[in-house]
Amino acid sequence: MDRLFELGSEFWVAAAETLYMVALTLLVGGLFGLLLGIVLYTTRPGSLLSNKPVFNIVNVVINFFRPIPFIIFIAAVQPLSRLVIGTGIGNDAMIFALSIASSFAISRIVEQNLLTVSPGVIEAARAMGAGPIRILRTVVLPEALGPLILGYTFVLVALVDMTAVAGAVGGGGLGAFALTYGYRQFEPVVTWAAVILIVVFVQLAQFLGNWLARKVMRR
Amino acid sequence: MALVSLTDVTKSYPSPEKGAAPVVAVDSVSLEIEAGDVYGIIGYSGAGKSTLVRLINALEPTTSGTIEVGGRAITTMPERELRGIRLEIGMIFQQFNLFNSKTVRANVAYPLQVAGASKAEITARVDELLAFVGLTDKARSYPDQLSGGQKQRVGIARALATSPRLLLADEATSALDPETTQEVLELLKRVNREFGVTIVIITHEMDVIQSIATKVAVMDGGRVIESGDVFDVFSSPRNPSSARFVSTVVKGIPSPAEAAVLRDRHDGRLVTISFRDGDVSQAAVFLDLANAGLEFELVYGGINDIQGRAFGHLTLAIRGADAAIDSALAKIGARAEVTEVA
Repeated sequence: MDRLFELGSEFWVAAAETLYMVALTLLVGGLFGLLLGIVLYTTRPGSLLSNKPVFNIVNVVINFFRPIPFIIFIAAVQPLSRLVIGTGIGNDAMIFALSIASSFAISRIVEQNLLTVSPGVIEAARAMGAGPIRILRTVVLPEALGPLILGYTFVLVALVDMTAVAGAVGGGGLGAFALTYGYRQFEPVVTWAAVILIVVFVQLAQFLGNWLARKVMRR
Repeated sequence: MALVSLTDVTKSYPSPEKGAAPVVAVDSVSLEIEAGDVYGIIGYSGAGKSTLVRLINALEPTTSGTIEVGGRAITTMPERELRGIRLEIGMIFQQFNLFNSKTVRANVAYPLQVAGASKAEITARVDELLAFVGLTDKARSYPDQLSGGQKQRVGIARALATSPRLLLADEATSALDPETTQEVLELLKRVNREFGVTIVIITHEMDVIQSIATKVAVMDGGRVIESGDVFDVFSSPRNPSSARFVSTVVKGIPSPAEAAVLRDRHDGRLVTISFRDGDVSQAAVFLDLANAGLEFELVYGGINDIQGRAFGHLTLAIRGADAAIDSALAKIGARAEVTEVA
């Protein structure tokens, strides 16, 4: 316990780093994931802008990257990270890798949730003379908003989990903190302090997500 | 000129199995729908009627044949132009297909936004439509707060928003209970009468046709097997499949099983007399039987009213001397259709 108090400031810095990595990844990965998911949804055969070649290519690319274990993925994209953001280590390199990996995962979640919109509702919009882009913007996305919020909440929780391995590329956050000061220094109290804070984060995120989704879906 | 005219229209889908022949959903259909008609299309599920109605607003491309709406051939029109045509054709659905994320007001406003109407126009038109369907007080509600009948009324208001000349109703009452069905049908009648909107109504329920349609086409296996005035098709269906539909609402000639039951319970000869409006009065028939000294009993049948014209089939058990019955029936037979129940 005393050790935890000695580490006080490092602990809060680590917490802030976790939040920083999660928030920025959710923004960047979330945006790319949304775009990719929309491409998957709209180009799928029989959909709004049905385009088999595009769908197949995107589908295969996503399926190629998705199964790569994240800890290996970080190492694999390091050269690319150096090229794009100028560094291969630290929190920013972590955000870079995490944004890419998560956008593939998020695209699937977006695709799944958009597919829950009833084809009848889309047909009704078509029967009213609406074009595909308008239908996507004014019908599909609003109708799927509730499930999408829950999907992104799930993603947010998963991102908290994934940031825990940031230490592998010299990044910080609660995961690195727990491993460095708790696990390697035989201080279970320190490890558990990190665990409890992560649990609190996750609970808050889930609560917020559920509340927002309920508000949108009015149930 | 007909508002909607279909000439030799066929719609086929590639078969799900490789190499197999394509599935023909609509098979060489020709129909003329006049402005002001309430045109019923009836058939069992899988008869192709839902596909047919989706060809009329080009939600599905036609495989061959031509469809003209308001004199314009839509079968060769590019998608962008079709969107303009669709603004002139309203559509309502079995499952209502309302936008659950939008209020009732926003649902009705949607087609007007697509049409590019101004905010002020939209507000005025939506108010007018909600008043017409009696849902002014539900403007701010969401579809999941409404009953089935209310949802369909929103659907109707939404379909009428852009003042279309044609309204397509795809099994619009099939998800509703009988009472609500009548409410919605009454509303559709008003749409037809007050706004002069031509309605094409798809259904598998003959009583929907009976209460609203002026013309009817019977579909089976993708083909139109009979079409014409509702009264004609109801009072004398020419096709066995049409006769089956008619028999769901009109008690006609008893089936062999029903005849057996009737025979068990009644003495005398079982005879069905078919009446058609104007041909012969029931009173005259009953008088003929009474004058011949015959005793008779009404055992089966019914009289129906279609668009203000009556017709029906009455099965009588007639008792008396055979010769007397024969001569009486011969006399009646000259004026009404007489069928001995086998």
